[in-house]
Amino acid sequence: MTLADFPAIAFAVMAAWALGTLLSIPARRIELLRYPAYGIMIAGTLLLGWFIAAYWVVLERPPLRTLGETRLWYAALIPVVGFLVEYRWKIAWLKYYCMGLAAFFLGINLAHPEVFDKALMPALQSVWFIPHVVVYLVGYVLLAASSAAAWHNIIMGFRSRQEPLGYSIAHYLALLGFVLLTFGLVFGALWAKEAWGHYWTWDPKETWAFISWMAYLGYMHLSANHTDRSRLQWYLAVSFLVLLVCWFGVNYLPSAQNSVHSYQSS
Amino acid sequence: MHKGVNGWFDDVRSFRLASVVAVFIVLAGFVIQYLAGGQGVPAFVWPWNFLFLVVFAVLLFLLGITCRHRAPVVWLGGIPLGLSLIFALAFLSLLGGVIPQDVAVTGDLLDRFGLRRIFSSWPFLLIVLLFLCNLGLSVVWKTIPFRLSNLQFMLFHGGFWIALACGLAGASDLQRLVLPVYEGSASSQAYVSQEKRTQQLPFSVYLDDFSIEEYSPQIVLYDPAHDRVIPGKIKGASDVGKGFRSEWPGLSITVLEYLPHALPSKDGTPLAADAKRGIAYAKVRISAGGYSAERWLNTGSPSIKPEVVQLDHLFLAMFPGSPKDFRSDVVLRNNSGGSRPAVLQVNKPVAFEGWKLYQMGYDEQAGRWSELSLIEAVRDPWLPAVYCGFFMIMAGNALFFWKGMKKGEAL
Repeated sequence: MTLADFPAIAFAVMAAWALGTLLSIPARRIELLRYPAYGIMIAGTLLLGWFIAAYWVVLERPPLRTLGETRLWYAALIPVVGFLVEYRWKIAWLKYYCMGLAAFFLGINLAHPEVFDKALMPALQSVWFIPHVVVYLVGYVLLAASSAAAWHNIIMGFRSRQEPLGYSIAHYLALLGFVLLTFGLVFGALWAKEAWGHYWTWDPKETWAFISWMAYLGYMHLSANHTDRSRLQWYLAVSFLVLLVCWFGVNYLPSAQNSVHSYQSS
Repeated sequence: MHKGVNGWFDDVRSFRLASVVAVFIVLAGFVIQYLAGGQGVPAFVWPWNFLFLVVFAVLLFLLGITCRHRAPVVWLGGIPLGLSLIFALAFLSLLGGVIPQDVAVTGDLLDRFGLRRIFSSWPFLLIVLLFLCNLGLSVVWKTIPFRLSNLQFMLFHGGFWIALACGLAGASDLQRLVLPVYEGSASSQAYVSQEKRTQQLPFSVYLDDFSIEEYSPQIVLYDPAHDRVIPGKIKGASDVGKGFRSEWPGLSITVLEYLPHALPSKDGTPLAADAKRGIAYAKVRISAGGYSAERWLNTGSPSIKPEVVQLDHLFLAMFPGSPKDFRSDVVLRNNSGGSRPAVLQVNKPVAFEGWKLYQMGYDEQAGRWSELSLIEAVRDPWLPAVYCGFFMIMAGNALFFWKGMKKGEAL
C-alpha cells in the first residue's frame, strides 16, 4: 500500500461516510436501515485505518512525521470520537460533524500530496517521539470534536433549541483535550532538553503551542467561574482556530524561518 | 469562592478592573521598554536571582496568609485577574509567535519596543510577575488549610508556579556553549553563541572519530534549468537496491546491481570497499521509447566525480540519502586529569563535570566526510527545580483527567 493508492482509498472512505450519512436520514423512521448505515460509516473509517497500517508497514516507521501523515490519523480518529460519544452518551449528531471535519482533512491531503520519504532525521529518533506526537494527536482530535460540538450548540442556539447534554459534551471533550495538550507540552519540553539542550526556547511552534494551551487554560477558568455556557460555545468554537494555526499555520508565518518543527519540507 | 466580599468586587467589576490593569501593565511595559532604548530587563545572576525568588515567595505567602479576606488581596489572587493575565500572556506570546524573534537588531521601532525579544521584554516580565502573584496567592489559599481534595489544584498550579518562576529566574544562569572539535585533536575553548566571545570549559573534549550513517540514496531526475529534482514513481521496494524500479513519463529505470560502499578501480568499474571510505554505486537499465541502455551511477565524494546520465536536458542522478545518525566518539578529560571515553549522539547527551554535552552538528558542506564535530555544552543549575514543577504539573494533570472522567460518567 503506497501513496499512489491514497486518492482511491480517500474517495472510497469519503463515499462510505457520505452514503452512511444519507442512509441515516430514512433510518430515523425505518429501523431496518439503521445497522447498514452504521456499518457503512464504520467500514469507511476501518478502511482508512487499514490504509494507515499498510502504509506504516511500507514506510517501516509510524506515519507520524509529516503534516500529511498526521492528517491521516486525524481523519481516521475524529470520527471514532463521534462514534464513541454516540455509543456512550447516545448523542448521534456529533459523528456527522466529525466525519465532515475528517473529510476536510482528507481533502487537504488530496489537494496537496506532499513528498513522502522514509527518512526520519536524527533529532526525531527518540523515545519521546511517539508519546509526544500521539498525545498531541489525540488531544487535537478531542478538541476538534469539542469545537464541532460547540458549533452544533451555537446553531441549535440560533434555532432556540438548547440541549444541556450538548453543552456537557463540548465541555468534557475540551477538558480531556486540555489534559492531553498539557501532557504533550510537557513531554515536548522534556524531549527538547534531550535533543536540543534546553526545555524551552520559544521556537515558533512552541510559542503557538503555548498560546493554544493558554487559550484552553482560559476556557477552563471561564468555565470554573460559571461563565454563561452559551457564550462559552463561541469561545470553544474559535479556540480551535488557534490550534489550527499552531498545527499547520505556523509554517506559513514569518516567524517560522528557523523552527525546529518545520521538518516536513525537505 | 471569595468573590463579592464587600459588594465592590462583584464579578463584573472585578473583571473590568482586572482587564484594565492587565492592559495598563502591558502598555506601561512597552513605555518602559521604549524609554530604556529597547534594552531588555536587566538579568540577576546567582545568587541574586535565588534571593529575589525566595523573598518574593515569602512575601507572597505572608500576604496570602495575613490578608486573605481583604478585598484587594482577594482580587489579586482571584480568577478574574488570573483570566485577564492569561489573555495578556497569550496576546504577548501571539506577538512573539508572529514577529520573527531573535533576529539581527536594526534599531527600528520593533526593536525599541522590544518586539523582537518579546519574551525578555518589560511588558512580558511585568505580566508574568503579576501572574506569579495571582497564581501564588491561589496556591497558598488552596494549600492552607490543607485538604486532600485540593491536591490536584495544588500540584497543577504549584507546579506551574515553580516551573515558570524557576525557569525565568534561572534563565540568566543558563549557559549554552558551542565547542568545535576536529578529528584527532582536543579542545576546551567554547563559543558563546550570539555573543561572539569564547569561554574556557573546565574540561576538554578529544574527538577520536566523527561518523555519519545515511539513509539509502535516491535515484532522481535533475532539471538544471529550473534547479529542481523530479522524483520518480517507485514500483515495489522503496529503498534503492537490486531490483529497484522507478518511472517517469516515457522513462523507466531498473537497478541491476547495487554496491552500498565501493570505490572505482583503475578502469572505472566499482569494487566493494569499507563503509568509511566507499560510496554507493548502482548499475541501472534505462528504458525510454523502446530503447534501453545500462549505465553506472554513483553518489560522488570530495575525491570521486559523481556519475550521472544525461537524458536530453535532464540528468539521471543518484543523490546520497539524508543523515540517519551522526555520532562523535570522544574522550572527556577534566582538569584534575581524570578521563573517560563517551559517544555523543543526537538525543543522547552525556553528562560530565556538571555539564551536559550534546551532539549538535558538523560541517554540512563536507557531509559524510566532515572531520569537524560541533558539540554543545549546556549547564543549567536550575533544571531540577523546573523539572520538579513539570512533574507536579503532570501529576496534577493526571488527577484532573481522572476527576474529569469520573464526572463525565455521571453525565
